Amino acid sequence: MIGKAVGAARAAAPTRAFPRASMIPVLEVCLLVIFAGLPIVLKDFWVVFVTRVLILTLLSLSFDLVWGFAGIMSFGQALFFGAAGYGVALVARDLGIRAIWVVLPLALVIGLLLSFLLACFVLLGRHPPSIIFVALGTLTCSYAGDRLARGWYYLGGQNGIPSIPLMTAGSYELGEGVAYYYLALVTVVGAYLVCRFLVRSQFGLALAGIRIQEARMAFFGYKVQTLKAIVFSVAGAIAGLAGGLYAFHEGFVWPNMLGVVLSTQIVLYALFGGVGTLIGAVIGVVVIEIVSFVLADNYQTVWPILLGVLLLLVILFRPGGLISLVVPERERIGAFGAVSGRRKHVGGEAVDGTA
Amino acid sequence: MRLNERLHSASGMSRRDVLKTAAWLSGAIATGAGSWAIRPQWAHAADPIKVGIATDLTGAIGYAGNANANVAKMVVKDINAKGGVLGRPLDLFIEDTASNESVAVANVRKLIQRDKVDVVLGGITSSMRNAIKDVIVTRGRTLYIYPQLYEGLECTPYIFCTGPTPAQQCDELIPWLIKNGGKRFALPSANYVWPHVLNQYARKVIGASGGEVIFEEYYPLDQVEYSATVNKIMTNKVDVVFNTVIPPGIGPFTKQLYEAGFTKRGGRLSCVYYDENTLNINAPHEIEGLASCLDYFRAVTKLDPGSAKIQAEYDKAFPGKIVFAAGSAATGMYRGLRLWEAAVKEAGKVDRDAVAAALDHARIAEGPGGPAEMVPGKRHCKMRMYIAVAKKGNYEIVSQSKGLVDPKEC
Repeated sequence: MIGKAVGAARAAAPTRAFPRASMIPVLEVCLLVIFAGLPIVLKDFWVVFVTRVLILTLLSLSFDLVWGFAGIMSFGQALFFGAAGYGVALVARDLGIRAIWVVLPLALVIGLLLSFLLACFVLLGRHPPSIIFVALGTLTCSYAGDRLARGWYYLGGQNGIPSIPLMTAGSYELGEGVAYYYLALVTVVGAYLVCRFLVRSQFGLALAGIRIQEARMAFFGYKVQTLKAIVFSVAGAIAGLAGGLYAFHEGFVWPNMLGVVLSTQIVLYALFGGVGTLIGAVIGVVVIEIVSFVLADNYQTVWPILLGVLLLLVILFRPGGLISLVVPERERIGAFGAVSGRRKHVGGEAVDGTA
Repeated sequence: MRLNERLHSASGMSRRDVLKTAAWLSGAIATGAGSWAIRPQWAHAADPIKVGIATDLTGAIGYAGNANANVAKMVVKDINAKGGVLGRPLDLFIEDTASNESVAVANVRKLIQRDKVDVVLGGITSSMRNAIKDVIVTRGRTLYIYPQLYEGLECTPYIFCTGPTPAQQCDELIPWLIKNGGKRFALPSANYVWPHVLNQYARKVIGASGGEVIFEEYYPLDQVEYSATVNKIMTNKVDVVFNTVIPPGIGPFTKQLYEAGFTKRGGRLSCVYYDENTLNINAPHEIEGLASCLDYFRAVTKLDPGSAKIQAEYDKAFPGKIVFAAGSAATGMYRGLRLWEAAVKEAGKVDRDAVAAALDHARIAEGPGGPAEMVPGKRHCKMRMYIAVAKKGNYEIVSQSKGLVDPKEC
């Protein structure tokens, strides 16, 4: 849609036809302020709960990056998450290395390399892959990773690797709690800013073009598959980072971390919140996790059904996700490039000047 | 969205279609994963002792988790009716581990960090125990009692195991199998940790008792086609099939084995996790003669009045499909709670170290299957073991250990 929007901007760019509604920055700042202040008002248990939510946010973000912006349907984000988790768990268990300066970059690199490898298979083949091929290819790899971990005794088999020691920063041990919370928050904010920069750059514009009409972008001379592979690898690196944080926070890794259930859960987080805005993915995780916690605490036997119905309703009636309730479609699509001239008509795909 | 659809109509599959499909699929898969809690039903009296139960109320092994929760409710109710422990009532906190380790960790944290329980009992699979033990014992500094039969080797301090170990399940059973089946053993197994470790021990006992292992094979957990295995069993003249194949594979495997004429030929089928729950996976004639070895069977009620009392109490409180059975950790849960009760009484306080020190040598005179006692320094439980054989859809006890069988762990 951005391709169209840019076209519209060139042909007939706007002035002040109606007020600019930039909800996304408002949401971003609100969420950041809330998250930054939460540990002041929350008790121990809740800080740990929200830390976990923050780490999952990274995963949802990585999915939004590939699907919401580049149109790559990845059902395999959990693979990078789990592999990085196993990687740091092994390093901590067998080599005794658990310094934050080593394990988090390691997690990131594992995610990056693995996703690049996978991209070589599913994206960089001789023929441009169809969306179904990519979805099933990534899904299969996720499943294969799960099965491999289950059968490999060095990795603890079905039982996973328990009792991972705490992460250290110098002589300080980062246990569950406020310190870990802020570590997770800083990581999420960092990753978010990287994603935000990426999707609003010229690179992001090219991605948007690929998402809307891949063939045309290819005719323009863009190396479409390479661009896809790059964004896929970046997303994989973010998922890997999440895996490293998660492994040390939960204190164990297990095969489900690589598997299909988590992979689809990630998809659900992002779709529920709304794809293509980054902040929607964050909201999706936060809302799903909180709602399922509240439902589970109050409706013992029927809560999974209630949650399922809620998710279905949102996705059926608001395909744009929760975010579409407050962020207009026009803003979600965004605008690129310099805006000049006058707007002739105020249609559905009008553009405002912020980039 | 109109524009969106128009843009994609050329490529056949619209973005929205993919989105919808993905959403349905995700919804279907993800609704299985989550957490829930059962609030204690009884009133909060002054300064109660908090007992946490973490078990699989939902998910693949929900039937076992619900039995565990029922047992806990029953025992705690009984203790409270008799005035509690140390004059303090017990407050029961039940959390769902949902057969999903990541949900489990989050929910067990609720028990430890929010509810601040004094002891946690639960976990059924070994992977579940591994997932939650750190949250409870290392990071949470709380006592943990694990109730399920398992592969052994859990020697972490402050973790006490009240279910049977490989030694307890094999030491009596294998000599009996050699006497009542034959010397040639086959060990078809599901490929995960428990069968590997159990078979390692079983091999030793088979060798020491004069038997031999013809083959030992591991299959994927979801394999349901076993004709090659059955063929191998038949052609190699195997006498005893000591199998650890699990559902869903166990049903087809047993059926195929029966149809190949294994039992007609005089072969003996054995499966050590078989209890009242697994009895109805196959038609009764297909598993006629199956031998199992556990700490309790319903048939034990005829031999042991203490067991009969517990079984009657359970059936009265929870009539229905969730049965009190050994293979699903329900008996270990009962034993664990009673041993813990005895330990707290002896310690005179609920402080972790004091209770652990008392639990180290705790004993109960009456439990499912008879008395039980912890082996000092080993954190595992000595108990009576029974060998039962399936007859017309029920178990018949054919042998009972002379005294309490040693777990031989740690």
